[in-house]
Amino acid sequence: MRHLLPLLVAVPLLGAALLACVGRVVPRAFAEAVGCAVSAGTAALAVVLLLDASPPLVEWAGGWEPVAGHSVGIVLVGDGPGLGMAALVSLLTPAALAYSWRSFDAPPRGNAGSFPALVLLFQAGMCGFAIAGDLFNAFVWFELMSVVAYALTGHRVEEARAVQGALTFAVVNSLGAYALLMGIALLYARTGELAMAEIGRELDAYGPPDALVLAGFVLVLTGLLVKAAAVPFHFWLPDAHAVAPTPVCMLLSGVMVELGVFGVWRVLGTVFSGPGGLPAADVERALMVLGALTAAIGALMCWYQRHIKRLLAYSTIAHTGLFLLGIGTLTLEGDDGVALYVVGHAGVKAALFACTGILLDRFGSVDEHVLHGRARPLRGVAVLFTAGALGLAGLPPFGTALGKSVTEEAVGGPLTVVYVLASAVTAGAVLRVAARVFLGLGPRPQEAAGDEGAYETTGSGEEPETRQPLSRVPDTMTAVPAVLLAGALAAGAVPGFADAVARAMSEATTAGLVQTSVHWTPVGVALGLVSTLLAVGLAAVAVVRPKLLAPPARALPLRRLQSGHVGDYVAWLLVGTTVLGVLALPAVLTG
Amino acid sequence: MNPRTRLWLVATGGAGLAALLVAACLRLPRFGGDRHPYGDRAVHASLERHTANTVASVNFDQRAFDTLGEMTILFAAVLGCVVLLRQTRDEHRAHPEPADVARPVRRYALLVLPVALLTGLYVVAHGQLSPGGGFQGGVVAATALHVLYLGADYRALERVRPVGAYEVGDALATSAYLVTGVAGLIGGTAFLANTLLPYGTFNTLSSGGTVPLLNAAVGMEVACAVVVLLAGFLDQAVEIVDEGEDDDRAGDGHHHEERGK
Repeated sequence: MRHLLPLLVAVPLLGAALLACVGRVVPRAFAEAVGCAVSAGTAALAVVLLLDASPPLVEWAGGWEPVAGHSVGIVLVGDGPGLGMAALVSLLTPAALAYSWRSFDAPPRGNAGSFPALVLLFQAGMCGFAIAGDLFNAFVWFELMSVVAYALTGHRVEEARAVQGALTFAVVNSLGAYALLMGIALLYARTGELAMAEIGRELDAYGPPDALVLAGFVLVLTGLLVKAAAVPFHFWLPDAHAVAPTPVCMLLSGVMVELGVFGVWRVLGTVFSGPGGLPAADVERALMVLGALTAAIGALMCWYQRHIKRLLAYSTIAHTGLFLLGIGTLTLEGDDGVALYVVGHAGVKAALFACTGILLDRFGSVDEHVLHGRARPLRGVAVLFTAGALGLAGLPPFGTALGKSVTEEAVGGPLTVVYVLASAVTAGAVLRVAARVFLGLGPRPQEAAGDEGAYETTGSGEEPETRQPLSRVPDTMTAVPAVLLAGALAAGAVPGFADAVARAMSEATTAGLVQTSVHWTPVGVALGLVSTLLAVGLAAVAVVRPKLLAPPARALPLRRLQSGHVGDYVAWLLVGTTVLGVLALPAVLTG
Repeated sequence: MNPRTRLWLVATGGAGLAALLVAACLRLPRFGGDRHPYGDRAVHASLERHTANTVASVNFDQRAFDTLGEMTILFAAVLGCVVLLRQTRDEHRAHPEPADVARPVRRYALLVLPVALLTGLYVVAHGQLSPGGGFQGGVVAATALHVLYLGADYRALERVRPVGAYEVGDALATSAYLVTGVAGLIGGTAFLANTLLPYGTFNTLSSGGTVPLLNAAVGMEVACAVVVLLAGFLDQAVEIVDEGEDDDRAGDGHHHEERGK
């Protein structure tokens, strides 16, 4: 079974090569069918491997098994979390392709294969990253998914905004990748190893951490946190999500950003967890501070948006913060919770983007204010959108709710408030959109005058992604979000799923020695209900009394940080790296 | 953010990062040390499989899975460029005019072209024996074709460079690498395992098992990819003009420097 692990990368790559080969001569339906079939086949493979991942599968590419404990080859790790992420990626990819089936106007004309080929390459890169057990190999797949993501984001080159969003994305993420590569180089210089577990072992053999280990830690984490869109590395994400085609947004927000968090978790557990790595207290401090900051800023900025795609993008940032807080506990319970949370979030967030795409294709706008009451006829979409919002809030029995409650228990204390508030505010913003756009509740929002309005990205005047605005919503475009939401619901409701996740996490981190039990608790359910009620309350107040919760003038400096100027974002990236270094500095000073 | 604030942020962040890097570099192993755990193992493994160039052995055998990723990054970047640099709805294509080239330039170019092409192919073919290989040789071969643009004009280049065919070549070369990998899985022990072919005689062209095959696949992929990539950018500069823009922008097919201003 373990020999099949590299096929998770090879199969979508072969599909992409085939599509690039015949893409100019085959009809569009054929290219799309091949894309869906190959990505779904990879998904089936990932699920089969996942079911066989206990004990974890370890494969040496090229058959370079270790001799006397050392290998020159590349190790692939098919444990529960890695294969789980690969399966999540591979299930979401056919969903995104099915969503764009026949409706998405995928230029260039006469090259029908290019869009599905790029999506398959994206899938291959993400799968490769998920199962990488070698730090340099992880970097290679990290780069592949980045390169494809830039191209997919800028897909609609006719619009200047799309080009700018993709360029910002490319500049910031490439700098993150350089940081990652530099960190790998430092660790390699010290240890002479590239496999993550081997690096960890050699670091332990060397002695307590010094400046080199600290720099390696900071640089590697910078790269991964840029991908995870943690504050202050997050600025690229809203700009990219606002312009990327909807199926691409589903993948970016649903799994790619989460892979950054997954990478952080993987690296912390394998490279830096021993006595030669960084002390737990320092890692915890760094992740807790960045996580709380990310959750707070993400939630606040989410509330202030009227461009629905940007709003959802900020909600992803807020949730990244919550994930970072969870893995920042460095406990098995925290990992269990985040794993469940990520699965639930992927379904919910992708579904919300899918619904927003329908609005864009039907009305040529994603502006909450312009769309006021216009989507009344779309009852089915309204139900899906609202269900997605409730899932985001953490309404039991969604997978998000179970994941959130387990993580809340793991972090404990005052940080629980961060979870309740961040999920309530982001879900409240989505519910507010639902109430205004689908139900036409409340007064029609007035345009802000003067200085404030100039800084706002409204989301009106966008081009539909279909050839002409839809008069009727195709069944695929509503079926996909429905299935995704059902999946998110199943992640929390299907008995045994949570236990399977907990078992997989335990086997991956403690070789199954420490067992945790993951289940609904009365407190968890109560907190989920509190978040949901709070979200509904916030949305109700915002709709009925818009002035009460409108962005105050003192929030303007915060909003202006998202300036669209790539130089600003690079400056923040540098600051973020330094902050990370300062947060983890005590490790070296005391050690 | 005003430029002043931005400068402050860059200075603060940059200073922190610089301090971190300097502190880390002071802790690097000394230059000229004799401890090379990976290098020793890699040379040993390379000699065991009769691959004279250890770098090629690392690239196409020991860490061939990384190379798969690297070649697909190029493949994806080229596909992405083809998509992004397409002729959009508000652009149209102008035909480049024939260009006058000074006779010595033309003669020199026609002389250099075959030599450069042959050099590229040589570098690819000897990748497993001497420095070089698919990546380097592919770039040399691809740029050799573009000497025609300097020696003649854009239309001459277009004649030897049907972009569609090179796109297919790019995809086929990538498939060839993957198929070799899968063959290793089916017929051998693991994906990309170099156990199918005899390792041959040390320091001959056919030595190293699948190393020459993967090397050739990468050479073809890189050559095709660079041709397609340059074609995309040259098309934007020479042929594709905005709607309403005067056709004389297309001029003699040599005006791309002008556009770069």
